[in-house]
Amino acid sequence: MVIHYKCPNCGADMAFDSESGHLSCPSCGHEENIETFPEQNIERKFDEGEAKEYHCENCGAIILTEAETTATHCSFCGAPVVLADRLTGDLAPAKVIPFTVSKDEAVAAFKKWTRGGRLTPRGFMSGDRIKKMTGMYVPFWLYDIEGEAHIQAIGTQVQTYQRGDTIYTETNFYDVFREIDLSYLKVPADASDKMDDVLMDKLEPYDYSELKDFRMPYLAGYLAEKYDFDDEQLFARVESKIVPYIDSYISSTISGYSSVSYTNKQINAQKKKVYYTLFPVWMVYYDFDNKEHTFAMNGQTGKVVGKPPISNGKVALWFTGIAASSFVAMKAIAFAVGGVLW
Amino acid sequence: MVKHFSQKLAWALLMGLLLIACGMPAFAQAADLIHDEAGLLSGEEAQELEALAEQYGAEQDVDFLFLTTDSTEGQSIEAYMGDFFDARADSTGREDAVLLTIDIGGRELYLAGFGTAEETLDAERVELVLDRIMPEIQAEDYGGAFEDAVVTSSEYMEYRPGVNPESIFLKTWFHLAIAILLAGIIVGSMLYNAGGRVTTNPGTYVDRDHTRVRSQDDRFRNKTVTRRKVPKNKDGGGFGGGGGMTGGGRSFSGGGRSF
Repeated sequence: MVIHYKCPNCGADMAFDSESGHLSCPSCGHEENIETFPEQNIERKFDEGEAKEYHCENCGAIILTEAETTATHCSFCGAPVVLADRLTGDLAPAKVIPFTVSKDEAVAAFKKWTRGGRLTPRGFMSGDRIKKMTGMYVPFWLYDIEGEAHIQAIGTQVQTYQRGDTIYTETNFYDVFREIDLSYLKVPADASDKMDDVLMDKLEPYDYSELKDFRMPYLAGYLAEKYDFDDEQLFARVESKIVPYIDSYISSTISGYSSVSYTNKQINAQKKKVYYTLFPVWMVYYDFDNKEHTFAMNGQTGKVVGKPPISNGKVALWFTGIAASSFVAMKAIAFAVGGVLW
Repeated sequence: MVKHFSQKLAWALLMGLLLIACGMPAFAQAADLIHDEAGLLSGEEAQELEALAEQYGAEQDVDFLFLTTDSTEGQSIEAYMGDFFDARADSTGREDAVLLTIDIGGRELYLAGFGTAEETLDAERVELVLDRIMPEIQAEDYGGAFEDAVVTSSEYMEYRPGVNPESIFLKTWFHLAIAILLAGIIVGSMLYNAGGRVTTNPGTYVDRDHTRVRSQDDRFRNKTVTRRKVPKNKDGGGFGGGGGMTGGGRSFSGGGRSF
C-alpha cells in the first residue's frame, strides 16, 4: 500500500515540515495539522498480489525501494511516499521524534561543525563539498528496564597514626550489603543493520519531551526504514549499555571506604516495556580528497558525529605547540621559584 | 698551631700596612684557600684545587676554604673550624666563605657557610652537598671531595635561598617529560573526540523515582594493626646539623658527618 498526502488546496503531494511540525504543501504553502488531516485527502493504493512492488500514484512509475524502506521519494517524479504496509501490524512504530532541524539548518550546523575541527585539514573546514544530505528516520528500540542488584562486598578503612617512634596502620574491615532496585527508562538501541552502532550511540541523547505517538505523515518527505532486529535480539546490546551505568550507581551507594572489593554481585535486569521508535537522523555524505566521508547528525539536537579526516601536520603542530608552551611555562615558574633556568 | 696562626697574623698585618702605605685597596690573597695541615693532598693537587676554588669563589663572591687536620686538640670539629675561621676572617676581613673541614684523626668532616653563604648554602643544602661527597670521602679521595664540594656548592648557591636545589620540580628532564605527557594527553583526547564524543552518562536514562537502595547494612568485621618503627632520617654519623656560632661570634650554617 502506497500513501500520498494530497494538499486539500491544490492537490500537490505534501511533506512533513520540521519547523512547524505540520504537513506542508511545497507548491502552495498550505499547512495541515497531522492529527486532523482530512481522510479524503489521504490517497491509498493497494497493489494486488506482489506486496514488494509499489507504484507511484502520480506518475505510475515503480517505486524502487529496499526491503526495509518504509518512506521514500518516487525516484521518477520525486513525490514523497509512505509505504504503509511496512508500518502496520508488528511493524507499526509506537513513537516518533519528528525532525526539528530542517535541511537548511542541518547544512548550516554541519558547516559550523567542520569549522570547529581543530585537527582536520584546512580544505575540509570550508564544509562546502556536501554531496548529499538525507533526512532519515532510523528505527530504534527503547527499553524500560527494571531490575534489582544484590551486593556483598568488603570495605576497608585505613588509619595511620604515630605513637612515640612507632607508626601504626590500623585497617578496619566491614561487611557491606546492599539491596538495590533499579529502573531505567527508554534506553535506546539502534535496530537498523545498516547504521553503525557506535555512531548511533554517540548521537544520543535525544530529548524525550518531544517524543510523539507515531503517525505516518511525519515520515512524508523523508526516508524511513523498518527494524532489522527485534527487541529480543537487541536486548543483549542494551544490557551491555546499561551495565556500566548500574556499576557506577552501585559504587555510588557504597561510600566512606578506602577500598571496596566485591565478593558477590548479582544483577538481574529485565525489560518491562519496549517501544518501537523512529529517531530523526540527517546523514551527510561529504566528498573530500576523492573519498566519501559519512557523518550523522542528530535531527533533533544538531549534534554531529563521524570520523573526519585528520591532518597529520595539524596534529604535529598542536602537539609541539602544547609541549613547547607548557615547557616554557614550567621553566618560567621554575625560574621564578628557584632563580635558575637550567 | 698557635704559632702558625700568630705567624699568619703578623704576616697579614705587614701586608695590610704595606697596602695602606701604597694607597691600594685591600684584596684577597688567593694563596691561602687550602690549609692542608694533615697532608692529605700532594703539592700538585693542592695547586689545582687552589685554582679551582679561586675560580668558583670569584663567581659566587665567597672564599671556598679547605682545612684538614690530624687533630682538633680536644675540641669539637665545629669549635675547631670556628676558631680557624675567626682567625682568618679577623686577619683578612673576608667574612663570606664556605669551609670544608676534615679531621682525619677523629674521622669527621664539617661543611659550613659563613656570611652570605650562611643563607646561600643553608643547612639543607649543606646536607645535600655532604650526601654528594661522602662516597669520595669513604674512598679517601679528599681532594676529589673538596672539588666536588666546591662545584656542587656553587651550583646550589645559584638558586634562590630556601629552595631545595635538588627538587624534582626544578629538573629540566622533569619539565620535558611533563610537557610531552601533557601534549600527548590533550592531542590524544582531541583525536579521540574528533568524531563526536559520548554525551550520555549514568544519569541519562535512570528513573530516579524507582532506582533506590532497598536495604543496606555495613557491619564491622575485624581489624588489623601493623606497626613499624619511624625510619631514621640519616644513615649514621650525621651531627651538628643547622649550624651555630663560632667562638668569635660569627654565625654559620653547617653540618657534619663521621666516616
